[in-house]
Amino acid sequence: MILQALAEYYERADGLAPAGWEYKRIPFYVEIAQDGTFLQLIDRRSGANPADVHLTLVPKAEIRSGTRAFEHPNTLWDHYGFVLGVSKSGADRDKSAAKEQLRYFTSRVNRLCEAAAESIELRAIQAFYERGEYKRVTSDPLWRDCARIAGCNLTFRIAGQLDVAVHAASVRRLLSAATDNHEDKQDVKSVCLVTGEAAPATKLHYPIANVGEKPAPLCATNKASYWSFGKEKGFGFPVSAEANFRYTTALNHLLRSGSRQRMQVGDASTVFWTQKSDEFEEGFGSIFGGGDTPDHTDELHAVLEAIYSGKFDGGRGENRFFVLGLAPNAARISVRFWHAEPLRDIARRIRQWFEDIAIDRGRNEPQYLSLKRLLTSVCLTTKDRPYGDIDRMPPAIGGDVARAIFSGVVLPAALLNAALHRCRAEQAKKEAKTGRPVRHVPYARAAVIKACLNRHYRFHAHNRKEIAVSLDKSNTDVPYVLGRLFATFERMQESAAERELNRTIRDSFFGGAMATPRSVFSRLVALNQTHLRNLKRSRPGAATNFDKLLREINDKLNPKTAFPASFNLMDQGVFAIGYYHQRHDFFPKDSKVAFSQSTSALTSNIEGNRP
Amino acid sequence: MAVQILEISGDFACFTRPEMKVERVSYDVITPSAARAAFEAIFWKPGIRWHITRIEVLKPIRWISVRRNEVDAVVSVDLATEVMNRGRGSLGFFVDEVDDDGKLKHRQQRAGLLLRDVSYRLHGRMELHSDEARANPVKYYAMFERRADRGQCVNQPYLGCREFAARFRRVTDLKSEAPAIEETRDLGWMLYDMDFSTVANPVPKFFRARMDKGAIDLAAAEVRG
Repeated sequence: MILQALAEYYERADGLAPAGWEYKRIPFYVEIAQDGTFLQLIDRRSGANPADVHLTLVPKAEIRSGTRAFEHPNTLWDHYGFVLGVSKSGADRDKSAAKEQLRYFTSRVNRLCEAAAESIELRAIQAFYERGEYKRVTSDPLWRDCARIAGCNLTFRIAGQLDVAVHAASVRRLLSAATDNHEDKQDVKSVCLVTGEAAPATKLHYPIANVGEKPAPLCATNKASYWSFGKEKGFGFPVSAEANFRYTTALNHLLRSGSRQRMQVGDASTVFWTQKSDEFEEGFGSIFGGGDTPDHTDELHAVLEAIYSGKFDGGRGENRFFVLGLAPNAARISVRFWHAEPLRDIARRIRQWFEDIAIDRGRNEPQYLSLKRLLTSVCLTTKDRPYGDIDRMPPAIGGDVARAIFSGVVLPAALLNAALHRCRAEQAKKEAKTGRPVRHVPYARAAVIKACLNRHYRFHAHNRKEIAVSLDKSNTDVPYVLGRLFATFERMQESAAERELNRTIRDSFFGGAMATPRSVFSRLVALNQTHLRNLKRSRPGAATNFDKLLREINDKLNPKTAFPASFNLMDQGVFAIGYYHQRHDFFPKDSKVAFSQSTSALTSNIEGNRP
Repeated sequence: MAVQILEISGDFACFTRPEMKVERVSYDVITPSAARAAFEAIFWKPGIRWHITRIEVLKPIRWISVRRNEVDAVVSVDLATEVMNRGRGSLGFFVDEVDDDGKLKHRQQRAGLLLRDVSYRLHGRMELHSDEARANPVKYYAMFERRADRGQCVNQPYLGCREFAARFRRVTDLKSEAPAIEETRDLGWMLYDMDFSTVANPVPKFFRARMDKGAIDLAAAEVRG
């Protein structure tokens, strides 16, 4: 199904390379005169980034690996080892490899020349080698930049021509006529499992780039332990050459850098496309990157509007939407998830997702949270990224979260665990420079916790009340009420103090209150009485308000079940949300409080609401 | 009588796609060959052959991604013969053996995209091939029914891979059973079975799978290969 959907995408998409060709980043062209004289190196880079190189359409790269890889040069383009015989290092092994590479490359050029003697371009390239002009390339001023790029690809351009030599009509004719003898094919009749047509199976599939560090094939059985029925390599899963080309080209196209149909979720590179052309294809990426930039937010807004207004019900909703998540594993590519659903269902699930993560937020917080921001909030902090380093994300969570969103099921328990772990770890965290306490249940993390809890309730505990977006005063769930109580205690302590506090009860007791309320709350209640007494003396008006609030919260607690010995994971999450909601209630959006929060530096200024 | 119905269910299943063999990805539903294996696990004799006519999916299709540590070594036939002839020797290998560069030689961590909580109702037809079987059809059907009712099997039926054991139950009254899921989907080309007419070179056969309201009709399916 996966390969078939990709092959079908190749049929309808445009901008894809024709059969036998591919778009490749060639940073430098070797410009030669018609008689083979080397003229100069031409720079084809478009930016400082090594990935910023103009793409050139070249014949598809040969599949080669191992010690005898030099026997398979590409056609009129390759890296500087093949084209110029320049070794990639000083080692003897590499030097002899480069010599062999050059030898095979030049013999390939000669063979092509024999087949099409009238081609000016081929004769120029042949002369370039015969006259030894290739040795002069290393003295070109741009050579140093070229040598610095590992495995820098090169191809030829004849002076006076606008396009590369490989595109010349004579060369094109020659290449299309040449039969593809490099792939061994079995002559036995077999059925292609992608198209269902009778076609010989291919032995090796083209690699997929931009998933792992090096391009690797998606379908491959490289070791003997993976073969069965006596069938080696690609013969164990018959795919025709045509289907092989189509699905790999389509997938590489979707994964190319700068593609709008691709997003990164942790280690899973996710691509998505629709069966029939639909603009949702491009807007989908914004859904999970939305909120980070203004353009993204507008796009996201538009897509959500379309979803809510029912544009995806009916005919348009029948169109199938495919999502494929790939992750590198050793030197291979593994499929993390695959979804093929009608747009209607996907739209419904996206809507559900945004409803699940909607929670009260501060004035400067974005309305929609991007998936990246949500996942970063549960990650370990490092020196460079003190608010969560996505590279330190517990593995497999990214893929599992994406799968949960697209299939509408529960979020992984590991996610809730990670979120609460961060809350506990950061309960006493202070800003490095200012020493101010850092919000340890920030907006993104609270959204994650809420989504985890509500999804869990929907599937496993139907009778339990779902967590609301803002403070729910009617909620009598014990952990929720205790969370509110804790927040109130903390606020009272802050209000009672005459100066700004270095440490509040949150620093010392939050983790304990969340996990084992019975042992902690007795102390907290006692402390609270002291604070209340101080408050009554200094600010009697505020004291009465707090008293009323305390009474309201305590009314919801049944003395018999008020302080359980411990809370399980779910209840701990509810506690954290209760705390978050109540805290937010103390700082309403239109208050005069200096509640400055930028998305990267979450400092909370605890100046009280002076009556 | 000839068509027997079995309900098979399990916690995990992996009907591995041939093209994603190393990093396993399962088909969405059970393959006819895996269904056939379930029937054969309960009752099989050389004189009969099972053909699957219909597959019904009883639970929604859910996935789970798991990584498992496996090995890449293959048993050496030469070594086994040598040891057998000599009467002594070691056929084992050290799983966590390290090579000169300090890397593990045999360990391979393979990711798998498996199915979770599966349940299928399989309709299989027992085809009688031997003379003895053709002469006593009722006996053979009764043998299967008895064994299935008692839970007897030669090996535990499994869902794709041996580690995913399955529970089975014979279905007698189709009307009182739970209905299949309300899903209609095109499942592409799926593996039908292996063709062993040439034993030295088994050839895979594929069929065009379409799930119509949770049921896949194999009797009318187009098989190629």
